[in-house]
Amino acid sequence: MQAPDFQAFQHAFGRHLRDPQHTPRPPGVPARRMQVYNELLFNNLTGFLDACFPVCRSLLGETRWRRLNRTFYRDWKAQSPWFRDIPGEFVRYLNAGGIRQPMPAWLPELAHYEWAELAVDTMDCPISAHDPAGDLMSRPIVLNPALLNLSYAWPVHRIGPDYRPRRAQPTHLVVYRNAAELVEFVEINPVTHHLLTLLGNAPNSGESACRQLADELQHPDPARLQAFGSALLEDFHRQGIILGIQP
Amino acid sequence: MPQQFLRPPPAAGRGALPGRLAQGAGLGFRRELIAELKSGVPEAISFFELAPENWAGMGGRSARDLRYFTERYPFVCHGLSLSLGGPAPLDETLLRQIRAFMHEHGMTLYTEHLAWSADDGQLYDLLPIPLSEKAVKWTVDRISRAQDILGRRIGIENASYYVAPPGAEMSETEFISAIVRQADCLLHLDVNNIYVNSRNFAFDPLAFLDGLPLERTCYVHVAGHYVEADGLLIDTHGAAVIDPVWSLLDAAYQRIGDVPTCLERDFNIPDLATLNAEVGRIAERQAFAAGKRREAA
Repeated sequence: MQAPDFQAFQHAFGRHLRDPQHTPRPPGVPARRMQVYNELLFNNLTGFLDACFPVCRSLLGETRWRRLNRTFYRDWKAQSPWFRDIPGEFVRYLNAGGIRQPMPAWLPELAHYEWAELAVDTMDCPISAHDPAGDLMSRPIVLNPALLNLSYAWPVHRIGPDYRPRRAQPTHLVVYRNAAELVEFVEINPVTHHLLTLLGNAPNSGESACRQLADELQHPDPARLQAFGSALLEDFHRQGIILGIQP
Repeated sequence: MPQQFLRPPPAAGRGALPGRLAQGAGLGFRRELIAELKSGVPEAISFFELAPENWAGMGGRSARDLRYFTERYPFVCHGLSLSLGGPAPLDETLLRQIRAFMHEHGMTLYTEHLAWSADDGQLYDLLPIPLSEKAVKWTVDRISRAQDILGRRIGIENASYYVAPPGAEMSETEFISAIVRQADCLLHLDVNNIYVNSRNFAFDPLAFLDGLPLERTCYVHVAGHYVEADGLLIDTHGAAVIDPVWSLLDAAYQRIGDVPTCLERDFNIPDLATLNAEVGRIAERQAFAAGKRREAA
């Protein structure tokens, strides 16, 4: 079926809004009035981006940041109707590649790290029934569901005006919402990241997760790994990364 | 890069609240106001309005705060992203999410702008629909489908705009009237939008008001706006309501009675006492209009 003709106007209007510098103003639309829309829509979008990515913005500088915002609006057809998903769409855009503007190699990961705080703060996830006092080694562990167990190639949590890394440095971070519903960040080592991944993949007791970990790492002293794991899980429990065990 | 974009399933176990109707005067619900509102909702405020796009499907503090207030006050659901007149397929997933969200919080009224906001991607703002016969039919079909999915009539709001799409085949009031009649939907009347458009396009706001299918009015908006250096009015919801808009609200009440009315304030948000005084001015006008109608009856 052929699209109704009024939609030709809508598509021309949309193309111009996305790229006012390079696409013609739709016929019959006065420049002054078009300018109102160009400013309203782009400012609306950048409001959401500025609020989520203060570090990316300050490190890129205003001109390069706005240029990146503009190519995002022009090239990335965000589908989510939720405004809070705009930052997530921007992170996907940065990570999808194909951006011609030069930018620091760590920028896509830094943006992801800044987005993670918003994502965890607003994540809608049920808390499973759990026994907060049970033995973490012997029964399947219940993780905090409002949690991201993240790995980055760059030390994203240290990047700032005084530190722009030139070499990658694998970094593992747990971002989670605590009992007071505040977002916490904890840096962890690769083995701990691996253990947390095992616990996140399937219901696993501490003992079984540590055994799996020892197998996968071909650890020379599995008993030591069990002791290490037990202490670590207790720590996670105190921090609210682990809620308890399945009842 | 981390593969952690998937949205977790919605939280279970939050019981649905009984449906409640908004009445009287209300205020747009905003995160900036929550701390103040928790220490006491001022008496003029009888209900709140929110955009589902900013509140549905969220967990954490946001969900807990919202639930605290929906347990105590009626809320109206006022959408932003449905793109009723837009060229992309109607977002039926969004409609089902809105339906579940309204059920969970006991909301009984959903309204959207008579506008479009997406082409082949979201544009995230409201744009004017060309006033053509084909656009009427297109929009009516989409409103009908939305009403089927939501299981209720929806209200459509007369929007503010800065461009009149070329090639109009009818007036805006004819466009709105045709859609409301054919879709069998309700009218969400925004008096500030009428005023802003009447100034920017030099028409008589009262005549426009009288051209609308007012008997279908389910809900009213009132707000402030911004005047640019060259005199163009911008519908910012960032200032106090001005007298000509209050007068237009009075004129509307004379015609339709005291329909539930919300004060929209989205920028330069003042303290709650100031907002309460403005909501109070709505409530006074409603009481006055109700008295007049009783006298006349």
